[in-house]
Amino acid sequence: MADAQYWDDVSEGQEFTNVEASDSQRLVVWAAASGDFYQIHYDDNFAKGNRLPDIIVHGALKGMWIGKLLDEIAGEDGWIKQWDVSYRSMDIAREDVTVFAKATKKYEANGEALVDFEVGTRKADGSVTTPGTATVRLAKK
Amino acid sequence: MADEVMELTPEMKAAIGKGGEPTTYEVTTLGIRTFARAVGYKNPIYFDDEEAKKKGHPALVAPPGYFGMPVFNPFKQSNRRPDFESPFKRNLNGGTAVEPLERVYAGDILEAVTTLTNLEIVPSRAYGQMMIRTSETVYTRKSDGKVVAKTRGTGLSY
Repeated sequence: MADAQYWDDVSEGQEFTNVEASDSQRLVVWAAASGDFYQIHYDDNFAKGNRLPDIIVHGALKGMWIGKLLDEIAGEDGWIKQWDVSYRSMDIAREDVTVFAKATKKYEANGEALVDFEVGTRKADGSVTTPGTATVRLAKK
Repeated sequence: MADEVMELTPEMKAAIGKGGEPTTYEVTTLGIRTFARAVGYKNPIYFDDEEAKKKGHPALVAPPGYFGMPVFNPFKQSNRRPDFESPFKRNLNGGTAVEPLERVYAGDILEAVTTLTNLEIVPSRAYGQMMIRTSETVYTRKSDGKVVAKTRGTGLSY
């Protein structure tokens, strides 16, 4: 879990990360939470029947992991202005997924202290499967 | 994959900019806790009403990106037909953008309206051609009429 940040303390280039487990139980809980019951996410036989090596992580769950990391960085006094993600490739389940947010620009606009981030999910081999961007308002000291 | 080179039909072009029927979403304590558990939140304001109230919130808080669940009623399905027939049969979720504007709380009833903002058919190395749909959904809280969030989605059909 990332700690809440003051705008003053964040540096451009600084990266925040969480590591998320993607076991089948978690994907089933996400299916219930989201209403996405497509079987490629929890039924091994169905996934293999669709030429997948194993069940795969829901794209939307990866997007929400990124939202959670940004929410932790924003803390109670900050606010996520927006985040966007592209679902570029699959993450096979049962492997840890690293969620990252790297500060790319720190600035003030319209009275708000803002940080832009490059965000995404990263596999063990370093490839980024869900790239995106975000803007977060942070509290100042 | 469509066998012939496709272009947007007049029906497809006419669908761009059109809003769909409103969908009602219920934000419940059960829904919030299930979502927060699935995503792995550790902040108690997403699990514990009292902790949320101690932090000045009127009720259990919905994490960013959670807008409840559409009200499911198999006896009250929409009779609306799609605005156009797609020649592409397979669909992929290409991406999502979320713009939270207001806190969402347990007990909120939201009305969501999705508008098709663009439609294009583009060449694809893998599939010959694919259709890219972009849409925007606006979530409005019924109790105070405030827009609580906007989301944008990209759908790929091939």
